[in-house]
Order: sequence, then structure tokens, then C-alpha cells
Amino acid sequence: MTGKMKYIVAGSLIVAAVIYLIVTSTGSTARYFLTIDELKGMGSDAQGRPVTISGAVLGETISYDASQPKVTFTIVNVPGDPREVERGGGLAEVLHDAVTDPDAPRLEVVYEDIKPDLLQHESQAIIRGQLQQDGRFYAEEVLLKCPTRYEEGVPGEPEES
Amino acid sequence: MLAQIGSMFTGLALATILYAAGAAFWSTRRDDRRWWKSSRNGVLATAGLLGASVAVLLAAFLDDQFYIRYVMQHSSRDLPLYLKVSAVWGGQNGSLLLWAFLQAVFAAVLASRSSKDPGLLVPWATVFLSLITAFFVAVTFFLSNPFVISQSVPVDGQGLNPLLRHPGMVFHPPALYLGYVGLAVPFALALAALITRRIEEWPRAARRWTLAAWLFLGLGLLLGMRWAYDVLGWGGYWGWDPVENAGLMPWLTATALLHALVMQDQRRGFRWWNVTLALLSFVLVLFGTFTTRSGLIQSVHAFARSNLGPYFLAAMGVTLFGSLALFYSRRSLLSGPTASEDLFSREGMFTLTLILFLTITGSVFVGSVLPTLTEALANQRFEAGPSWFDRVTGPQFAALVLVMGVCPLLGQAVGTVRRLGKRGIAPALGAVLAPVGGAVAGFTRPFSLIGFALVGLAGGTAVAEIVRGVTARSRQGESVPAAIWRLFGRHRRRYGGYLVHAGVILMAVGVIGTRFYPFETEAVLTRGESIDVKEYRLVFEDLEQDVLSDRVTTQALISVYRSGRQLGTLGPKLDEYSSFRQTVAAPAVRAGIREDLYLVLAGWTDEGAQATVKIFINPLASFLWLGGLVFMAGGTIAVWPSTRKARMGEPAARKRRVWSTVGLIVGVVLLALAVWAMWRPAQGTAASASRSEQGGLGLAAGRGSRPRVGEPAPDFSVDLLDGSTLSLSDLRGQVSVINFWSPECQPCEDELPDLQTIWEEYQDKGVAFLGVSFPDLEASTREMVSEFGITYLNGLDAVMPVDYGITGVPETFIIGPQGSVIYVHIGPVTADRLRTELDTLVAE
Repeated sequence: MTGKMKYIVAGSLIVAAVIYLIVTSTGSTARYFLTIDELKGMGSDAQGRPVTISGAVLGETISYDASQPKVTFTIVNVPGDPREVERGGGLAEVLHDAVTDPDAPRLEVVYEDIKPDLLQHESQAIIRGQLQQDGRFYAEEVLLKCPTRYEEGVPGEPEES
Repeated sequence: MLAQIGSMFTGLALATILYAAGAAFWSTRRDDRRWWKSSRNGVLATAGLLGASVAVLLAAFLDDQFYIRYVMQHSSRDLPLYLKVSAVWGGQNGSLLLWAFLQAVFAAVLASRSSKDPGLLVPWATVFLSLITAFFVAVTFFLSNPFVISQSVPVDGQGLNPLLRHPGMVFHPPALYLGYVGLAVPFALALAALITRRIEEWPRAARRWTLAAWLFLGLGLLLGMRWAYDVLGWGGYWGWDPVENAGLMPWLTATALLHALVMQDQRRGFRWWNVTLALLSFVLVLFGTFTTRSGLIQSVHAFARSNLGPYFLAAMGVTLFGSLALFYSRRSLLSGPTASEDLFSREGMFTLTLILFLTITGSVFVGSVLPTLTEALANQRFEAGPSWFDRVTGPQFAALVLVMGVCPLLGQAVGTVRRLGKRGIAPALGAVLAPVGGAVAGFTRPFSLIGFALVGLAGGTAVAEIVRGVTARSRQGESVPAAIWRLFGRHRRRYGGYLVHAGVILMAVGVIGTRFYPFETEAVLTRGESIDVKEYRLVFEDLEQDVLSDRVTTQALISVYRSGRQLGTLGPKLDEYSSFRQTVAAPAVRAGIREDLYLVLAGWTDEGAQATVKIFINPLASFLWLGGLVFMAGGTIAVWPSTRKARMGEPAARKRRVWSTVGLIVGVVLLALAVWAMWRPAQGTAASASRSEQGGLGLAAGRGSRPRVGEPAPDFSVDLLDGSTLSLSDLRGQVSVINFWSPECQPCEDELPDLQTIWEEYQDKGVAFLGVSFPDLEASTREMVSEFGITYLNGLDAVMPVDYGITGVPETFIIGPQGSVIYVHIGPVTADRLRTELDTLVAE
């Protein structure tokens, strides 16, 4: 075997091993990334399956029991496709529209952990966990983001009523 | 005024940098030194102008110029000085300005060192660097200008995001940006080398730039990890968040580039590798900026969605395809001499290292875009969590550590595994002793033992190389300290490199400990109650609360005992920032060699009699920070310029040396500050002994918040200009318009005539008008009232604006006959707007 061939073989072996790792890890540890709409669409199939969902947090539903600790809150469906978010006028708009739309699909989330710092009205929640038989989503991990907070928002602006 | 000056400087900088690019290009065409000199001056002028812009923005922050939107959004009066400074880059607009400035400085330094350059390498590189700088200046100036003026003049700014109030955050962004802008230099030099066909010269020119950029990027990542550990309070330091990944990927390719540059410089070959890695590093910098600003990838760290995405995407496309086209046209140049044939030679191992760095980068990239990727491929969105990244990259990092241990043992191109001989003893010993030591300390899981074996192997190699160098010198009669000093002094890059390896190995120990043996639990404790967690006993002593100007901070005092001995008191805190309506949990950490005890206060109930605490035990976490220090020390040694060559120079060289010494001192001071910011004891280590004066735990009322529509208006008592007093009850039964204003604010002045007009229209319809200005502005208020012929009531009060929670002037409230708020307008109001509102009320 020539020197060059050796490198090519060694290199392709490494690359193949990495691709194998990526594919198997995607199968075993990656999760479905769903919107609430899609999760509801799966019906009872969705129960007990580890998934990641995203939604807009409904501020008035947040209740926190520090003695457990346990947080429950409701999230509202937002589109998962970035292009659709863009068409809706950006993430901040989409989140705002979601929480003000009474017909949008909603989901109650139970998170047995400390209340995250950024859990508040209209923040975007990305939640890993699973749907249980009681129809509530039991979260293992909650990531939050407030898109308007530090760039556009004027805090204390009166909410339109 | 400041805003216009700052904006003007930025605009001028765009002109000068475009000129510099043109002049540099022209100088290469004509081979004319005069054009080149002119271009160099253009770059210098750009750096100066952008430096002035940054200085102006800094002045605006220090002077609380809240009429500038960006200042208003990221600062407030009560912010400590160092945070006002760091707020300059606390948001997108300011950080892009800083980026543009640093890019211009790097271009200027490169251009001014061109006398060493034999050909047109530097002028060509200046063309590309100037264009890159121009892109950032243009984006700053046209799309993300930090000097935009806001509509109303706020009394106070919105304050800095509470999560960013950490000394580490002062240095983390600039360090990252220094790394990012630094990586543009090797890229520009690579393109220049291809154009001028000086393919063998550019690695030498690019080496120190790459090293410096890589070092700063590494420091930025380390500071980010430390900040996450110390502030975010989730017990970890690296979450494989897309924004973290965006910084990690160029660092990985830059590390590969460093190795490949050395190889090309020493043994030729590696031409393809170097230009590709330089391109990749720079494109990944753009990609990182693109993902964090486009809203395409969801992340907790990302800047708010902005309109910059498409521009960065376009810049990436131009860079990538332009460079690939150039590579293709110069492919004969790149094919050059090939590397050694033997895979088990030093070169072969280097090649393996490069491949591994690329596959790790590729894996991280795939993980970052997995939802988008799987949607395109399988129409299903999959998401990669931390376990995905751990599983995919873990084995690759392990392989990298293995190569790190084996590679320095192999002689140059001809060495083979069989020749290892005696040099293999220390690594073999390390590979055996490290897992045994780990097992004795209680870390017995098989995979972690494999990890320790690899770490021991690589550590043994790094230590053995340094020891070998020292003994060889001391055998020639040098004392050991002198031998160490000379060894690192004379062969900075080589032994600095070994030190960097040692730092990475120490960090790997920390990663093994924290990733394989994570431990967390929660406890609800009543005052005086204790809990046993592993070998610790934690006693919840008390809960204290302090009301500060910007936040209410609640601290749990928890005594920590181990085997009957008190180790100290930890004070995890919960900070509630009223103006942000945000709670930040500040963890308390007791760092030890074996493990860190890490406490987070989750909440409290029952007037503070009960507290919920989250307890993390992070084994070997201290090794991460220790390794980080060794890494930085090694990197600094490697990047330190050699003084011996400069000493021979003529006056010009001496002058340059003075400047590089100044630069070095500034760099070292910054580095030391950054290191202090990062490794000073984590917060909450020693709980404050001072008891709160408040006594009870009832939340004290903070600053008033603006009453919402429908809520009763806060009572007030205002001294009117005619000497009488007016209170809310005097206005009962009529509709009142209350306008907060100040004679110093332009928008307020603009709306005064409109207010007077409306007052004249509605005064007979049961509508009262009240203007409220500030007592310290009495003279100018009176002046303005008479100048504009204002006939409605006007008064001065400092308390009322606070009670009404106004964030600036002008603000206008309409209060109904029953005393409740009916309408609030922030910023200047128009006559039409008021007419519409009042008509509905008066008609009722």
C-alpha cells in the first residue's frame, strides 16, 4: 500500500466511525422536536415517548411550590419551522400572538425542579420530557428564552387591554 | 451631541477603510510603495476613528446619556462603574462596534509590520482584512448603529441584564472577539499567499497571529464556562448550547491550523490543510455570528432576533465560494510536496490529529443544526441534547488525548513506534498509575478508568518532555530553576505547547470527574434542620433578606460539616431584580481538590422558616479551572515574542519594540485581570455575616411601578408654580390629563403646543390638565411655561414621577373621574391622539 493510500484508508476509517457514532446517537439519544400541535396530533402514541417540544409560556398559569420544588405552567403552540416564524413577524410577534390566541393548542407542563430564572409570560420554552396519561407533559429539562427582553422591550409598558 | 459624533466617526471609518482597501489593491497592481503607504495610513485612521467611536460610546455610558437608545437599554444610573464599561458590549450593537474596532486594530498592526514582508503578502492581506473590516463597519453603521437616539428621554436606563453582572462577563466577550478578529488574519494571509504564490512564506507570517487569536478564543471559552458555573446555577459549565458550540468550532479548527502551520513551516507539505483550515476557521466565525443573531438556532445565550442574519449569510457565501474558486485556480500550487509516507511517523500522527479536529468540528456542527438537517432529510425534527454531544464527541476527544500522548514520542518524520525505547517509560507509567490512583480515590467506572489511562499517558508524555529538557540542561551545569527558565525562554513555542497540553490534560480530568460522576439532589429544610449528603452534613441556619437599590436579595445560610468538623458556611442567594421582573439564583460553591460542593437556593416558604436547596457535588471540577490556568500560562509563553532577534535591530526596530512591549504589557494586564475575574473564589463562598436591618421577611416595596390601565392612580401632592398644592382628590369628578415632562427634553418641548391646544379645546368640557416637571429645574420650567404661553396647571415634584413608575419623559396619563388610570402614553403624544381618547371619555 502506498503512503497516500494509508492516509486515505485511516482517514476514511475515522470518518466512518464518526458517522456511525452520529447515526446511532441520533437514533438513541436525539429526540423528536415537536410542536404542541404535532404532539396532540399523535394522540396516545405520544404518551411516554421522550420528546422535545417548544411553546410560548402563559404567564398567569405559572405556579411554583418551592417546598417540592415543583413548577406547573401552560404553554401555547408556536410554529416550529423558522421560516414560518419569520413569516409571522419574528419570534417575539409569534410568541405574543400565541399567548393571546384563545384557540391555539395548549399543554400543561409539570416540572419538578427549581423555577427557572427566565420562566415568565411570553418567554419561549424548549422542554425535554414526555407526555403522561393524565395529558400533562412532565419535563426533565426546560430551556427558556425571552426574545424581546433586552433588545426591543420597554419594561413596564402597560399591557393593552 | 455624543450620539452624532459617535455616528460620524463610524461613518468616516467606513470611508477610510474602503479607501484603504482600494489603495492597497492599487499598490499591488502598480507595485507602488506610495499607494501602499497611503493604504496603511487609511487603515490606521480607521482604527483611530473606530477607537474614537468606542470611546464616545463609553463616555455616553459613563455619563448616563439615556437618550441614546442603546445606552438606555443596557445601563442604568445605579450600575457600578465596571459594569457600565462592560455594558458597552452588553448588546448586539455595541459588540459589533467593538468587533469592527478590534478588526481594524488587527489590520493596522499587520499593515504597520509590513517592512519585514519581502513581497506583496501584507498589501494583499490588507486588501482582504480591510474588506472584512468594512463589512463589520457597514453592518454597525447601517443596520445596528449603537448611536440611535430614542424618542423619549428616560429618567433612568433599563439596566444591564442581571445575568451579565459578573466580572467574568467583562472580559468574556472582548476575549472572544479578539479571537474572532484574529482568525481573520491567517485567512487574509492565506488568500494573499495564494494570489502572490508565496505559499511557503505565509505560515511563518501567520503563526503568531493564529496563536494569539487561538489563545484569546480559548480564554473567552474558559471565561464563558466559568461564568456558566458561577452564575447560571445549574451546576454545570458546558451545556453544548448552540452559542457555546459557535465559539468552540472555530477554536477547534484554529487548534488544528496551529499544528498544521508548524508542520508546513518545519517540513513543507500540509499546504492544502493550512489554507483549508484558515478558511474554515474564518467561515465558522461568521457562521457563529450568523446563528447567534439570526434566530435560526434556539439558544439561551443568543442575542435577540435581528435583521442581520441574511447579511452574514451572504458574507459567508461570498467568502466560501470566492476562496474555493481561488483554491481551485491555484491547485497546482497547493499540491506541493507530500507529507511523509509513514502513518506512524510524527507527520502521520499530526495528520491524524488534524483529521480528528475536523471530525469533532463536523460532529459539533451536525449536532448544532440537527433539527434543520433531519427535517430536510427525513421531514422529522430531531434535536441533539447534551447526551448526544457527549456520546458523539467523547470517543473522538479520547482519541485526541491518545494521539497527544503518543505524538511527541515519535521522532520527526522517520521515527517509528519501535524506536520509542526509553522515552515510552514515563507515559506507560502514567497510563497505569492514573487509573489506579483514580480507582483508589473512588472513581471506578470502566469508562472513566479508560479516560484516566489516556490522561495518564498524555500527561506522562508532557511531563517527561519537560523533565527531559530540564535535566539535559542541568547536566551541563545549570541549576534547575535556571534550566527551567532557559528551557521555556529559548524554546517558547515548543515547551509552551507542552504546557498547553498539560493544561488540556488537567481539564480532561475535570471533564471525566464531572461527566461520569454527576450528583445532584434537593432538600427542603426547616430552620435548624440538617441533612446528610454523601459525607457532608448541611445545616440550614437562617434566611436573610436585604433590599438593595436594584434588587431584593435573599440568602440562605447553610453550615457545612464533614466528619463532625465545620468546613464553613455557604450562602446561596436568590436575587430578585424588580426592574427586570427576573429572579437570578446565585449559587454558592465550596471548591475542593476532590470535589466541589455547589448549593443553589431554589426558594423559600413560610416566611423563611423553610428553604428549598438544590445540592450538586461536582467531582474533580477544580481540575477544570486549574487546567485552564496552566493552559493560559502555556499559551502565553508560546505567544511571547522572542527578544533576541529584536535586540540586534536599528532604531526603527527599537521603536517598534517599545510599542510591542507596550502592547505586551497591556495584554498581560488584561490577561491577569481576566484570570482574576475567572478564578477568584466563586460567589457565596463566605456568607455575609451582616444581618439584614429589615428583621422580618415581608418584601419591602421597591420602586413604584407604573399603574396599569384600570388600576387606581397613585395619590400625589404637587407644588404648583403659583405656590399652591394640588392632590389627586382635587381632581376627582373630572377627567384629568397628567403630563410628565422636563424643560431639558426636546420631545417634551415639541408636544407642549399640542397639549396647550387640547387644553384650550377641552377645558370647558370637564377636563383638567396638569404638567409635572422636576423641582431642580424650576427656573427653566417657569421660563418654558411662559415662553410657550402654557395656561394649564404646572407643578414640580420629584416623588410623583417615581410613584407613577415613569421610565422617562414625556409620559402622559389620563385619569378618570373615579381616580383610575384610563390611558397611558409613553413618549411624545400628539393632539390627535389625545383628542381621540378624550372624546370617548367626555361623550360618556
